[in-house]
Amino acid sequence: MIDLQIPTLTTDRLILRAPEARDFEGVATFFADAERSWGFGGPLSRNEAWRWFASMIGHWVLHGYGFWMVDTREGEPVGFVGIWSPEGWPEPELGWVVYQGAEGKGYAREAAEEIRRYAYAVLGFETLSSNIIPGNARSVALAERMGAQYERSFENVTHGTEMVYRHPGPDDLAEGAA
Amino acid sequence: MTPIPTISTERLTLRAPEQRDFPGFAAFFASERSKFVGGPVPAEQSWRMLAVELGHWQLRGYGRWAVEETATGRFAGIIGLWNPEGWPEPEIGWDLMDGFEGKGYATEAARAARDYAYDVLGWPTAISLVAPGNDGSRRVAQRLGATQDGLFTHERFGTLEIWRHPAPSELSDGGMEAYA
Repeated sequence: MIDLQIPTLTTDRLILRAPEARDFEGVATFFADAERSWGFGGPLSRNEAWRWFASMIGHWVLHGYGFWMVDTREGEPVGFVGIWSPEGWPEPELGWVVYQGAEGKGYAREAAEEIRRYAYAVLGFETLSSNIIPGNARSVALAERMGAQYERSFENVTHGTEMVYRHPGPDDLAEGAA
Repeated sequence: MTPIPTISTERLTLRAPEQRDFPGFAAFFASERSKFVGGPVPAEQSWRMLAVELGHWQLRGYGRWAVEETATGRFAGIIGLWNPEGWPEPEIGWDLMDGFEGKGYATEAARAARDYAYDVLGWPTAISLVAPGNDGSRRVAQRLGATQDGLFTHERFGTLEIWRHPAPSELSDGGMEAYA
């Protein structure tokens, strides 16, 4: 038996919940779009996107954390945001994908900040980083808005060169909130 | 999460795959022996494949089990029910880890998986896909009473032989009670 409990998290405008079979179409559409998915290992065929989606669920089983599906409170799919640490990753990273039509509203930041808070407060993470492929200016801008700073570059086993952006730690955030 | 049932056969235990199975799983998928089933691949990729095995259970309600040699507790293979996006129809698949070949384990576990598919899930039929040249796998299909039933071409794995298993009505004395 697998004991998999994915908590539902809520923010002002968003619901972060466990992935379900019905989420596959949105994931497949994202990965079919080279313009949107190139910074995330795409584009992927429908078949490969299904395997990626299944691995995203399996990641929860193997690590106890992973990507949440993000919906608006009205139930509109926004994307997926979470903590990702497959074999070969230098450390768990905070990652985000926003679907076409949902950008520009601050949803990724709202979800990512909630997950960062959860990772520090509940999972006990002491640090978090985000790996960003050079040229992905939107992700860099978001990381910087969240207070993350460029730290170094490394060779990702599957994506090639990536930049590591280091997020403020639990103490930094606590001070900032004081 | 879909609970993954545990099944016992004469010599084997079929249970949920876990992180502790990864070393054996990765060793198999890094070896030449995996050339008929998508390998060889580095550990970064086989870890994701193990994650896919688990996610498959959640998305389909069935999947492949980690097969343990009951007497030793050693991880012997990944065997069970497999139907990722793009598959022609649900199949019974078997990958034996290094060192567990030649004991009839694939046949024993696959038969239990087939019984589960027929008796619990109500499948009316089942296939197994065998890569041309994978003689060991073809022999398992034959021992299970399957017969060749055309070809299937997959975007990544190329052309595969479809082996059709006997239907539930054609199997005598093959039900779950055989393993009770």
